[in-house]
Amino acid sequence: MKTFLSLPVVWVFLTLAIYFLAQGIHKKVKWALTTPILVTIFVLILLLSVFDVDFETYDSGGKFLSFFLGPSVVALGVLFYEKLDEIKSNLLPFCIAVFVGGIGSILSLIFILMALKAPEVLMRSLAPKSVTTPIAIEIAKSVGGVPSITAGIVIAVGIFGNAFGIYILKFLGITSKTAIGTALGTASHGIGTARALEESELSGVYSGLALCVNGLVTAIVTPLVIDWIFA
Amino acid sequence: MLKSLTIIFLFLILGEFVNYIFKVPIAGNIIGMVLIFLALKFKLIKLEMVKPASDKLLKYLVLFFVPYGVGLMVHFETIKAHWFSIGLAVLGSTILTLYLTAFIQEKLQKK
Repeated sequence: MKTFLSLPVVWVFLTLAIYFLAQGIHKKVKWALTTPILVTIFVLILLLSVFDVDFETYDSGGKFLSFFLGPSVVALGVLFYEKLDEIKSNLLPFCIAVFVGGIGSILSLIFILMALKAPEVLMRSLAPKSVTTPIAIEIAKSVGGVPSITAGIVIAVGIFGNAFGIYILKFLGITSKTAIGTALGTASHGIGTARALEESELSGVYSGLALCVNGLVTAIVTPLVIDWIFA
Repeated sequence: MLKSLTIIFLFLILGEFVNYIFKVPIAGNIIGMVLIFLALKFKLIKLEMVKPASDKLLKYLVLFFVPYGVGLMVHFETIKAHWFSIGLAVLGSTILTLYLTAFIQEKLQKK
C-alpha cells in the first residue's frame, strides 16, 4: 500500500478529485470555511497524515499541477492588456492605495509583534508576508529572516485572503469591485488574486496588478523599515 | 489553443532567459508577464493569438496553488513554537492591509 501511495498519479488524482468535490460543496454551502482551496488543502493534509505520507511524496505528483503557475502568471499579463483601459482612469488612486496598504502591512506586522515582545527574527521573517512567495523569500533573506518561516506564512496569508478576504471587506462596508480586487492582491498576493478572478474579471485585473506593484513596494521598503527600527 | 499555449510558453521561456542572463531577483514568470504585456501593447502579437490558453489557465489558477498550500505541513513545527504571536500579528496585519487598501481605493477612485 505504501508503495502504491507513493505513485505521483495517486496525488494528482486525489488533488483533482477533492478540489472538484470541494467546488461542488461550495456552490451549495457558500461559507468562507467551505472555500475550495481551504477544504482541499485541509483534506489533503489530513489524508497525508493518516497514511503517513510525507510532503515530498505528495509533491512528486503535486508539482505537475503547481507547474502551471508559471504559464498562468504569464497569462495575467494578457489579462492586464485586455483591461488596460479600465485601469488607466483610476491609475493614481490605485497606486496610492497599494502603496499605503503595502507599507501599512509591513509596519502593522512589526508593531503587533513588538507589542507581543516576539523575537526579532520573527519580524525580519514575516515583514514581507503579503507579497508573492518568490519575492517574499528574497526579501526575508536580505533582511536576515528565516526563509522557511516566510514561505509557510506567506501561503497561509494567501489562503486566508482567498477564503475570508471578500467577506471581511463586505462586512466592513466595501462594495466596489475594483477596491476588493486591489485589496486582495495587495494583502494576499496570487492566492488572493485567484479568488478575485472568480469574483469578476475586473477585480482580478486590479488584484493581479496590485500584487505586482506591492511586490515592488515591499521589496524596496522592507529593508528601509527594518534598518530604521533596529538601528 | 495549441498556438496560444505555445506562445504563452514562449514568453515564459523568454522571462526565464532574462532571469538567467541578468541574474535579477525577479522570478522568470513575472518577467514573462511583463514581456507578453509589452508585446501586446506594441502590437508584436495579437490578443486573439494568446487569449484561448490564457483564459483557460486563469480559470484554474486556484487549483495550481493547492500543492503550495499542502506544503504548509512542512512548516508546522517551526510555526508552532510562536503560534500565538504569529497568528495574532498575521491576522491583525492582514485584515488592516485589506481594509486600508480597499478604503483608499474606494474613496479616491472615479465612480
